Amino acid sequence: MSPFTIAHDVDEATALMADGACVVAGGTDLVVGHRQGKAPLPARLVAIDRITELTGIGPSDEAIEPGGLRIGSLVTHAELMTNDTIVGGYTALADGAALVGSPSTRAAGTIGGNVMNASPAMDTGAPLVVLGARFELASGNGRRIVGPLELWTGPGTTSASDDELLVACHLRARTARSGSAYVRLEYRRAMEIAVVGAAASVSLDDNDGVAAIRVALTAVGPTILEVHGLAELEGHRIDDQLLTDVADIARSTATPISDLRAGEAYRRHTVGVMAHRAVAAATARAWGDSVAVPVNRSVGIGASAPTSGGFE
Amino acid sequence: MTAVDIPRFIRADGPDKVTGSGRYAADLVLPGMLWAKFRYADHPHARIVSLDTTTARAMPGVLAVLTADSVPDVRYSAGVADRRLFARDVVRFEGEVVAAVAATTAEAAQAAAAAIDVVYEPLPAVVDPEAALAADSPLVHTDWESYDADSATVREGNVASFSSISLGDAQAAMADAHTVVTSRYEADASHAVPIEPRAVVAQWEGDKVTIWSSTQVPFDARAGVCQTLELPTNRVRIIVPHLGGGFGGKCGFHYEAHIAALARMAKRPVKLVFSRREEFLAPDRRREGMVVDITTGLDAEGNILARTGGLVIDNGAYIADAAFFPQIAAMHVAGPYRIPNLHIDSRLVYTNHQPSGSVRAPTAPQACWAVESHTDELARAAGLDPVEFRRRNIVTSGSVGPAGQTYDDIGLADCLEAAVDLIDYGDESQTDENAVADEAVGVAVGWWPSFPGASGAYVRIDDDGKGQIVTGAQECGTGAVMTLRQLAADELGLDPTDFEIVYQDTAAAPYDTGATGSQTLLNNGRAVVEASQQVAEQLKSLAAEKLEAAVGDIVLADGHASVAGTPTSSVTITELAAEAAGGELLLGHGSGTPGEYPELVGATCIGDHGVAAWASPQFSCHAVRIRLDRDTGVVRVLQVAAAHDSGTIINPMGALGQVHGGIMMGVGQALTEATIYDDQGRQRNPMLLEYKLQTAADAPEVTVQFIESGTPGQGPKGAKGLAEAPNVATAAAIANAVAKLVGRPVRQLPMTAERIWTAMQESDHGHDGERR
Repeated sequence: MSPFTIAHDVDEATALMADGACVVAGGTDLVVGHRQGKAPLPARLVAIDRITELTGIGPSDEAIEPGGLRIGSLVTHAELMTNDTIVGGYTALADGAALVGSPSTRAAGTIGGNVMNASPAMDTGAPLVVLGARFELASGNGRRIVGPLELWTGPGTTSASDDELLVACHLRARTARSGSAYVRLEYRRAMEIAVVGAAASVSLDDNDGVAAIRVALTAVGPTILEVHGLAELEGHRIDDQLLTDVADIARSTATPISDLRAGEAYRRHTVGVMAHRAVAAATARAWGDSVAVPVNRSVGIGASAPTSGGFE
Repeated sequence: MTAVDIPRFIRADGPDKVTGSGRYAADLVLPGMLWAKFRYADHPHARIVSLDTTTARAMPGVLAVLTADSVPDVRYSAGVADRRLFARDVVRFEGEVVAAVAATTAEAAQAAAAAIDVVYEPLPAVVDPEAALAADSPLVHTDWESYDADSATVREGNVASFSSISLGDAQAAMADAHTVVTSRYEADASHAVPIEPRAVVAQWEGDKVTIWSSTQVPFDARAGVCQTLELPTNRVRIIVPHLGGGFGGKCGFHYEAHIAALARMAKRPVKLVFSRREEFLAPDRRREGMVVDITTGLDAEGNILARTGGLVIDNGAYIADAAFFPQIAAMHVAGPYRIPNLHIDSRLVYTNHQPSGSVRAPTAPQACWAVESHTDELARAAGLDPVEFRRRNIVTSGSVGPAGQTYDDIGLADCLEAAVDLIDYGDESQTDENAVADEAVGVAVGWWPSFPGASGAYVRIDDDGKGQIVTGAQECGTGAVMTLRQLAADELGLDPTDFEIVYQDTAAAPYDTGATGSQTLLNNGRAVVEASQQVAEQLKSLAAEKLEAAVGDIVLADGHASVAGTPTSSVTITELAAEAAGGELLLGHGSGTPGEYPELVGATCIGDHGVAAWASPQFSCHAVRIRLDRDTGVVRVLQVAAAHDSGTIINPMGALGQVHGGIMMGVGQALTEATIYDDQGRQRNPMLLEYKLQTAADAPEVTVQFIESGTPGQGPKGAKGLAEAPNVATAAAIANAVAKLVGRPVRQLPMTAERIWTAMQESDHGHDGERR
């Protein structure tokens, strides 16, 4: 059996995976991981980068996510950050994609690789959670749909079996008067990895109160964490008190560790700051204000501009 | 100086580097070439109980395995001969080489290196340089007394090198002071991080070896090979292909002898290419960690009366070139100030960390950060604006510096005024006192010596009138490929592009100390000028004969030799060159007399390595504007205004490049760059993902002004050095801006976002109380 096969469709790929081959698409994790000594290069690879079904951004299937958006697993970060539909309506994902690595990483790295690599520091993870993403997995036994928090089971581990291939991400249909944003703490403005991050999606009711709000956190737990307990905020107007409450709830959700990038206490504090800013930016977008992608460059993360305000 | 003022010509190595056609050491491929891999120490400190290479030698593709027993038993290093090519009996840091393998593929070499069976008895690791000073601390070198050492190096136990500088009576003056401020600052170790990890290729032909190496100092590297492999100088040739940066990290003698010894044993060419991880862990060129305790006494008017200081510098396991560090660090803790009473003790201390060695302005960025932070504390204590405090206390032309040197014509005061002008200093004080500002300006002054020394060059003009400069100078950002051609062209009335430059080859060129100590223009420039002048004299003689004029009346300009005042009486240099080709060739050689080091009056220097008396000192002032994200502690540097006295600026484009680059390194040192150790002395972040360099996206706006003072005794046309000086004061200036916003200094370097945030939390609970 060949150590390297180019698969032409999903069935061919999953058959090879069932036979022990490991998937490669953008290759931004596989080779780097090997060089860092994290994992040996697999004995057999199946290249999935030519499988048409895995490409493209378009409407989701009515049976999966009516009115929603389907993002093929081969879609790169560079596409995510510039696609009009994503920038216009699923903006948190564009915010996250725009912060990944360098231009070359973003051109090669795919959302599928990001999702299946299951790093708790992935920048697209928290946006996918707050945008209601679900993942379509294929194997020789058929297809199934799983949510992100079912898929991600720990740092670098998923509930997918070795022969399951991520075909696409399906995002919930965007509601009127909604917005989303992803904000992360970073020590430099390129080639950076999230120290902590937060994504938020907000929909407004007719009185400018919260109709729905979701917040998810990056790099403060073994997986991306969703912040629960926000339902009580529904109906409230979004003001500084609400943002402070969100920050506090986010801090109590986080289970950060101390490592090279930050200590536990600093992570817990700053993830609240990120949640505060993410909800503020998502709300501004829900109002129809223009907040450029990525939010990190527009509302002052890394002190590039005065910190956000104006939510009286 | 703005971009439009800069004369531009294409640097000789530019097209090669930009198009990718240039060859670096790692690109070289020789027939039959093998790959080298090292087996490193498995422990930061351990006794080698046994070392068995039997299995490794028998592995497929393996042609040579070397250990300490395979090479002459020679101990080396400048200052103190404290290390060998391969560890013998004891390993003292995690990146120490225990064995080397050459095999037909890199993978085979790696597998064989891993298969070498080493049994260790771990020893207690010495990881805290202050604790290492205790009488009961384990010794990193138990037999330190038996090592050969130069007479300047004062040693005792874990103290690898001690220096002190005393002037006047610091204790008595301190007792009389109106205000006394005591501060403590701690700087983490960091790295040079050249973008090209080092590579070495060695090939023997008979009893001669050619070594291609990514070294900044080929002549030093040659000396190391000759010493450790016991070879005469003329049998070792070091060639440096294009060099992908160095920043001091590639100074010194590193792996040239290991690879030459492997190639000799294997009877094949051998190549070593470091991974980024190896580049972080193994070379003896880390920027040293440092602890600075400093106390200064002021009179009622805010003049410095006295200063005492204690420095503890983390040397790591071997001394490399660091024996002079305590003295030069002490000079920086004194700083460019008039201090009539001074006493500083400075200790370079062995630990089981990677060895420290010269990285761009060794010890200066950290020591300047400490002393300039302290200076802002002094200003606050004296109730003076920090710039005004500096105006009162800095050294100026004619004043006596902290080690008793009288400075001639120097431009520090002008640098201070220029930098604060460029950044509009003081405008931020217009803001509402009650508003919490998130922007601030910080100012710091810095200095750095020039190092006169030996160098040599040949200059010739061939039969077509084109010139060649053969020089020992290096190009890793020194500007040699631009400035040396400019100097020769000026002497010979030709254009810089008329010259090719042959460089980075010990067999072709006379001795040069290499890309170290900001010395290329100062010393090699002098040599090129002298060699060019010899050729100029030859040309003038030929022209005088041809034009029937006196030699003294011949002028070389615009490609012509002409009679002064009679421009019609003229001959092209090309025509003269063609004539000379048939007779006495146009051939010059130069070395020149290095400038002299000044005298110190009244100071007592113990452990004197000659770096308290500064020849052609360079001065600088950096003023920065930063923004602080108060919720996270993240700092962004918005603007840096840099004023430099490096004497005459010969090549403005190269000079600006030095300043911009030094500032970017300084921003990294200030905010993000640190090597972090575990409690056993192992680096935790030997990788670019976790060792946070600054990126182009982080670069501040930089404005530069050169103060071209006429300091006596400088290099060609009045130039001093410039490569290291721009790296001295940036972190300090950023620190002073941070302290303004936080309300107290952040006493650890780098001032990471988390450290700044922590200091802000502590500020909310009152001042840090270091002042008395």
